[in-house]
Amino acid sequence: MATSLFDQFISPVLLGIPLIALAFVLPWLLFPAPANRWITNRMLTLQNSFISNFTAQLLKPLNTGGHKWALIFAALMLFLMSLNMLGLLPYTFTPTAQLSVNLGLAVPLWLATVLIGMRNQPTKSLAHFLPEGTPIPLIPVLIIIETISLFIRPVALGVRLTANLTAGHLLMHLISTAAYSLLCIMPTVAILTSIVLVMLTVLEIAVAMIQAYVFVLLLSLYLQENV
Amino acid sequence: MPTSPVKTRIPLTSFGHLVTEVKRQLFGIEPPTSLELTGWRKYFNSYTALGRRNCVLATYGILVATATVYVMHRRNSQEKKTQPAV
Repeated sequence: MATSLFDQFISPVLLGIPLIALAFVLPWLLFPAPANRWITNRMLTLQNSFISNFTAQLLKPLNTGGHKWALIFAALMLFLMSLNMLGLLPYTFTPTAQLSVNLGLAVPLWLATVLIGMRNQPTKSLAHFLPEGTPIPLIPVLIIIETISLFIRPVALGVRLTANLTAGHLLMHLISTAAYSLLCIMPTVAILTSIVLVMLTVLEIAVAMIQAYVFVLLLSLYLQENV
Repeated sequence: MPTSPVKTRIPLTSFGHLVTEVKRQLFGIEPPTSLELTGWRKYFNSYTALGRRNCVLATYGILVATATVYVMHRRNSQEKKTQPAV
């Protein structure tokens, strides 16, 4: 059966059962569960250290009202990072390469930050639509521009993650196909292409971690404005 | 390595704060205090939170009013076209 470049992004279905649910649940099995011991093992200590440092860094600019979001930010960061990294393995499906998944994460969380701002401090939330010190003739234009930028935020959040992962996977697929095809014809070029593939894979590992961090960081910035 | 002359920590999602801080620290331009704003400028300005809120609400109100007038006018014109000429 001839396959196209985009077959890797089709949501897998086995005997009519969508496997995307398994793809969402399985990463959690890889994380060590907290044990009932005073001193834990190395993996758990590393995990706790990473989560604590990351959460402390993320919550520094937020006031105490925003600290309620510590759990959801830490969980979201681990979830996205594990989904992105597992998708780099061969023949695996990356749920975060689907726009529906990323918009499903971005829109409710962004909307929650906006509604929290409108409920707790409506004057300050509305005042955010007009930058301080704007000259009078520019006031209506800037208000419209800031309103549009507010509504574009969840779309940008979702599309950023989708586009980065999709582009990376496509590039890896193309270069690996080229390396495989050239192996018999031009072995030297195939070796060079394989070196490029290795470097691209390292880049994609970095992109997977960075994009998960950027998603959560931007959400924390939107929360910072509203809490 | 030269460091930035702007010393305050500025939120990345607010250009208003950036503009105000840059004007204050680089050029020494201070925004007017609330006492200097009199008349309608007291309620509609781009310096105080209340003034900015009122400007935003006024802009939205004007947009909604314009859209409502346009829709009503269009509906009336369509009704006049469908009615037979007397």
